[in-house]
Amino acid sequence: MGGAETWGEILRPQLLDLILLSAFIAFAMVSFFRKSVALKYATFVLAVGYLGFTKSSLVSVSDVFRLTDLSVPEFKYSVTWYVFMLFVVASTVLWGRVYCGRVCAFGALTQMLDPIVPRKMRLEIPVRIEKHANLIKYGVLAAVLGYYLATKDVAGPIRYAEPFWMFGLFGTTGMWVGLAVLLVATVFVRNLYCRFLCPVGATLGLISSATTVFRIKRWGECNSCKICEKTCEWGAIRGPRIVKSECVRCDDCERLYHDQQKCPHWIILRRKGGMFVSA
Amino acid sequence: MKHVVAVVLLSCGAAIAAAADRIYTLPDPSAELKRLFPAAKAFSPLAGEPLHFDAFANDPKTNPSEKPIGIAFWTTDLVPQEHGYHGPIHMLVGLDMTGILTGVIVTYDSEPYGYFSVEPPKFAAQFKGKKISDPFRVGGDVDAVSRASISIGSATRAVRDASRMVAQKLLPPEVTK
Repeated sequence: MGGAETWGEILRPQLLDLILLSAFIAFAMVSFFRKSVALKYATFVLAVGYLGFTKSSLVSVSDVFRLTDLSVPEFKYSVTWYVFMLFVVASTVLWGRVYCGRVCAFGALTQMLDPIVPRKMRLEIPVRIEKHANLIKYGVLAAVLGYYLATKDVAGPIRYAEPFWMFGLFGTTGMWVGLAVLLVATVFVRNLYCRFLCPVGATLGLISSATTVFRIKRWGECNSCKICEKTCEWGAIRGPRIVKSECVRCDDCERLYHDQQKCPHWIILRRKGGMFVSA
Repeated sequence: MKHVVAVVLLSCGAAIAAAADRIYTLPDPSAELKRLFPAAKAFSPLAGEPLHFDAFANDPKTNPSEKPIGIAFWTTDLVPQEHGYHGPIHMLVGLDMTGILTGVIVTYDSEPYGYFSVEPPKFAAQFKGKKISDPFRVGGDVDAVSRASISIGSATRAVRDASRMVAQKLLPPEVTK
């Protein structure tokens, strides 16, 4: 050995991950821009299979810890990690919590329950409770950050504050019991962890409420219409407002806005004479 | 919608099955063994209790009383319960007969992108020349590279525990006293 390595030697072992991650991100973004339900579910499968069970590559609260001491991995050996983090931050700044809505393997896993579990089994949480429950995740974030700063212990938060270790299929009995409770509760309360508990989601929520360059379009009629608010499975629409920190860009409301048979905006236009209604 | 659900379920099943069936130990590590013991002319096959390779300065076929100059072993054979963040980190370790590590080679890990610290070559390189009685403390005599992570802690424990187990069983008793 000895001597300086060339970039070719450094990048070769990372190439497969780099290509697969880029391909996955490209696929996820196509599903996002085309607002296609089928492509969204295909993205979920890839997220769970590749980012989850194959790579265990989910943004972890330990990545948030890195911000406090800037202990980031060495660039040349961690190019894929940098690409992944750049995508997560950039997509959040541009569109909001896209990462939570279709890239995070755990979020993808719980969202796969949506078409499987009958609507009747799902517990609809009243808005006044949901509003407060949404804040729990910021509390979790503050608690684990404080714990980390005091103890510099990463293993505890990774094991007990987030369920992402499950993709490595290795945990203590206590961890599996906790996960089982969480998953059973998720059957009744949609995406329970993402909406109310996830410290990473809280971090991205802080970023998205401060930024979100390309926001979801709303019509004048949205002030009084409740269709989208009722459809939103993330409780992110309250009256005319979309709560940026809760919205994960699932596209459900956007599909409705553009549905000329369902959205009052289009129905009213048509009744008025249909001048602006395109074929 | 029904067939989307079916595809989703099938793919999940396949992904879980594939993940559960991860066996990545290098079947023929002869090049790696050569790197751990450049002076060795021959290696025994993986055998014994605990499983190990013997390194010989001269081929034992020509001289049957030849004593090994060192021992190489997989951490995954010695401490199979040791887990990184996503799974076991596969390392081949060389140990000379005086209880000094001749090197560590990481041949496979499935750690996530963020836990790269076992991949930069300097992580494994720092174990060369370490004694089995050294503390192997991450942040102390073992450099954390970027920061102590689950992966680096697990890899360090695996090297330490596996080396000590091998030394206990296969090295002359005065070495481990």
